[in-house]
Amino acid sequence: MFGIKLENVTKRFDNVLALDRINLEIDAGEFFFLLGPSGCGKTTLLRILAGFEQPESGRVLFDERDVTAVPPHERNTGMVFQNYALWPHMTVWKNVEYGLTMRNMPQHERDQKVKRALEMVQMSGYARRSPNQLSGGQQQRVALARALVIEPGVVLLDEPLSNLDARLRLEMREQLQDLQRTLNVTMIYVTHDQKEALAMGERIAVMQMGKVAQIGTPRDVYRQPLTRFVADFIGEINLIAGKIKSVESGVVAVTDVGDIRGQAGYEGIQVGDRVLCAIRPEAMDFLLDESGAVDNVIFGRVRRAIYLGEVEQFFVELASGNQVKLTKYDATMQHAQPGDEVRLGFSQVVMLRDEAEDRDEAV
Amino acid sequence: MKRFDLNWPTLIFLVGLIGFFVLFLFYPLWYAFVQSLVVDGRFTFAFYELMVTSPVYRESILNSFRLGMITTIATTLLSLPLAFLLVRYDFAGKGFLNGLILVPMVLPPFVGAIGMKQMFARFGSINLLLLDLGLIDQPVDWFGGGGFVGVVILEVLHLYPIMYLNVAAALANVDPSLEEAARNMGSRGFRLFRTVTFPLMLPGYFAGAIIVFIWAFTDLGTPLIFNYRQVVAVEIFNSIEDINENPMAYALVVFVLLLTVFFFYLSKAMLGNRRYEMIARGYISSGSRPASRGMTVLIYAAMLSLTGIALIPHMSVFLTSIAERWFMAVLPQETTGRFYTMVFEHPMSLSSIEMSLILSVLSTTLDIVLGIAIAYLLTRTRIPYKGVLDAMAMLPLALPGLVLAFGYLAGYSGTFLDARHYPVPLLVIAYAVRRLPYMVRAAYAGFQQTSVTLEEAAQNLGASRLRTLFQITFPLILANLVAGGILCFAFAMLEVSDSLILALKDEYYPITKAIYALMGRIADGAYLASAMGVFGMVLLIVSLFLAGRFLGRRMGELFRA
Repeated sequence: MFGIKLENVTKRFDNVLALDRINLEIDAGEFFFLLGPSGCGKTTLLRILAGFEQPESGRVLFDERDVTAVPPHERNTGMVFQNYALWPHMTVWKNVEYGLTMRNMPQHERDQKVKRALEMVQMSGYARRSPNQLSGGQQQRVALARALVIEPGVVLLDEPLSNLDARLRLEMREQLQDLQRTLNVTMIYVTHDQKEALAMGERIAVMQMGKVAQIGTPRDVYRQPLTRFVADFIGEINLIAGKIKSVESGVVAVTDVGDIRGQAGYEGIQVGDRVLCAIRPEAMDFLLDESGAVDNVIFGRVRRAIYLGEVEQFFVELASGNQVKLTKYDATMQHAQPGDEVRLGFSQVVMLRDEAEDRDEAV
Repeated sequence: MKRFDLNWPTLIFLVGLIGFFVLFLFYPLWYAFVQSLVVDGRFTFAFYELMVTSPVYRESILNSFRLGMITTIATTLLSLPLAFLLVRYDFAGKGFLNGLILVPMVLPPFVGAIGMKQMFARFGSINLLLLDLGLIDQPVDWFGGGGFVGVVILEVLHLYPIMYLNVAAALANVDPSLEEAARNMGSRGFRLFRTVTFPLMLPGYFAGAIIVFIWAFTDLGTPLIFNYRQVVAVEIFNSIEDINENPMAYALVVFVLLLTVFFFYLSKAMLGNRRYEMIARGYISSGSRPASRGMTVLIYAAMLSLTGIALIPHMSVFLTSIAERWFMAVLPQETTGRFYTMVFEHPMSLSSIEMSLILSVLSTTLDIVLGIAIAYLLTRTRIPYKGVLDAMAMLPLALPGLVLAFGYLAGYSGTFLDARHYPVPLLVIAYAVRRLPYMVRAAYAGFQQTSVTLEEAAQNLGASRLRTLFQITFPLILANLVAGGILCFAFAMLEVSDSLILALKDEYYPITKAIYALMGRIADGAYLASAMGVFGMVLLIVSLFLAGRFLGRRMGELFRA
C-alpha cells in the first residue's frame, strides 16, 4: 500500500496546459477523490499515476520512491477504467487472473486469489462467462476484482460509476466504500460528480483548469470553499458582492442590501477588499419576526417557488435587483408564495475574494 | 403499425432482384455443381476422385494451396509490422504514406508479370546489372520452380495492400484502454501482443487472410503469363475448350467454391460473430504517439523501400512499353513511343478498348441502379429478411471471379446468352455482379451517414417520398455514389478472370484479354501489351485518385472484408 506524493507535476498537450504544477500528498490507505469538471486535468493526473502519460516536469513518488520514469507494467497500480476495459476474448476468470499470470504466480495460488477476488465482488457464479454477457454493474465488479486481485499499492478509479444507472450507482458507492475500508487500500477516485466525492471521499481535491483549487474533507470543501469556483462547483451558492468594512470582531462587508457579517474565506483579509459573500441556499431561512437569533437579515420579494417533493426552492429578488435562491427541506408546509414580501435570515457566510474585481484593478 | 414497408413497387423490385440473383449468382453455381456429379444422366463421384488419384490434378491443387499459403504468410509478415508503424505512430506525412500503400494495386498482377518477365529474364535487366556490378558471375534463374517463385512474388506484391488494409483496420479498432488495462496488470511487449492485441485483431486479420488466400489461389492471369500451368485456375481455363468431353473443370470449380465457403464458414465458427469494437466512453486515448526522429526515418525507409520494390512490376511494364531495342542491356538502348500509337492502330487493341468502354459503362450503370436500390432498402425501409438481401449483395465479394465466370459460360451455353456467340450480355452482368458489393457499400455508407431526420424534415414540409429522395438524399450522398461508380468502372475496365474466360471471340475481347492474346500472337506483342498495361495503370490511378477525393479517408473501407 502506497502513500503517494506529487511534486510540481506539469503536463502539456499541444500547448494546452493540462496540469500546472500539481502538488499533492495522499496518505497510505486513504480514499482520495479528484473532483472537477471535464477538461480540468483529473483524468490526466490519474493516467500519470498509472504511468500512461509522462509528466513534462515534476516527480511522482510512491512511498518516497521516484516512479516518474517507471513504465506502467512495473508500477503495481490497479486501474479501473471508465469503460471497464474488460478483454472480450477472455472469460471473467481469465480477465481477473491475467495480472497474476503476468506476475508468474504458480497456478494454485492464482486459482485461490481469483476465487477470493470474485467472491469479494459477488461475482463467483460468473467466472466462465464472457464479459459481453454481463450487465454494466457486473462488468464494473469484474473490473474491480481484476484491479484488486494483484494487491496493488494503489487502486486508480476513473469515473467507475458513470456508466451505471442511478440506483445501481448508489449501491456500488456503498460497496466500494466498504471494500476500501476492509482492504484498507489506497484508492484514488476520479469523478465529476460532486455527490460521489462528498459521499465517499475522505479527502477531496477540487481541480480547475489543471490546478488544484482546494483540498480538504468533504465537510470543509462544502462549508468553507476557498474560491468562487469551488463554491459553485460543489453544490449551489448565492453570491452577493460587497466591500470589507471591518475585520475586528468578525468580518463585515458593505453590500447593496446592507451590511453582511460572516467569516473570512481567505487569509490576510483586510478592510477595503472586494469580496463575494457566499451563502448556501439551505443556510437561508424565512424570518417571521424580528427575532435576533441570526447574524444577517435581508429583505426581498418571492419571484418564483418550485416544489420538488422533498424540497422546495424559492427565488427571491432583493432590493438591489439581485436574485437569491433559498431551499427549504420541510416542504410539507407552505412557506411563501410568489409575490410575498419576505425577510431572509442567515448566519453561515463565507467571504470569498472577488477575483473578477482583482483583475479589473490589475488592468 | 405495419411490420414491414411492402408496397407494390418495392415488392416488384424485390422479386426482380431475387430473380436476378437466382439467374446470375445461384443458377451458374448450381449448374456447375450438378455437372460435376452427373454425367450422361448417371451420378458419379469420379471427377472428385480424380483430384486425388490423378497426379496432374493432385499436383495442381497442391500447387494452388502452396501459392495461397505462401502468399498469405508473406503478406502477413509484411503487413503486421507495417500496420504497427503506421497505426501506432504519428508523424509528418502519415496520410501520404497511407495512400502510398494502395499504389501497387493499380496494375493487375498479370500485366505486371509481362514486365517482370522482361526484367528478370535470364539475360534481363536485373541479371545484367548484377553481372556488371560483379555481384554474380552466372545469370540467376529468378523465377525458379517453373515460374512458381515469379507467381508468388507478383501475388505478394499485388496483395499486401489488401492484407494491410484489413490488419491496420483491425489494429486501429482495438480499444486502446484494453491494452492499457493489460499494461496496468503488468504485461508488455510481445506478451502483450500475444495475449491481448492479436486476439482482439483476429476477426479482422482472418477476414483479410481469407481474401488474400482465395485471391492467390484463384488468380488466373499471372500463372498464365509465367506459363506456370499446374495450378487449379489454369486447369479450369484450359479445359474450357473441351468442356463437353471432359467435365473435370466442373469438379475443380466446385472444389474452389466449396473451399471458399469452407474458409468463410471456418472464420465464422471460430470467431463467431464476435465484434470487439467497444464504444469507448469517457477518456479516449488516441492509441498513437508521436514518432521520434529516428523512428520517422525508419518508417519512411521501410515504406519507401517496400513501395519501391512493389512498383518494380509497374516500372518494368513501363520500360517495356517504351523500348525500341532492349537486348542484353540493363535499360532499353533505344526508346520509342510507337507502341502507344500502335495501341490505337492495331485492330485488336483498338477494338478491345472500345469493347471495354462499352462493357464498363453498361455494367457500372447496372451497379449504380442496383446498388442504390439495395442500399436504400437496407437502410431506409423495413422489409423482411433484410439480412438475406445484405448477404446476397455481399456474396460476390467472397466468390472467386473464376468460379462465377466459368459458371456463366457453362450454365448459359446453348442459350441465347451463350458467350461463345455473343459474350456482351454475360460480360456486362459478370462485371456488374462482381463489383456490386463495392457500390452497395458506398451507397450504404452514404445513407447511413445521412440522418433520416433531414429527410423527415423535407417530408414534414410537404415533399413526397420520391421528391425527398431526389432533392435531399441524393445530393447529400452524391460523393459516395460517384466514388462507388468510379471504382466499379475502373475495376470493370481491368477485370481479368471474367474477361479471359467469357470473351472467346477476337472481336469481343476486352482490354485484359487483348493484352493476354497479343502477348502470344504478334512479334511485338509484349511491347504492345505493356503499352496497353500502362494505359490501364493510368486509368486506375486517375480513378482511384478521383474516388479517394470523393470518399476521403473512408476509401480503404471498400477493400476490407
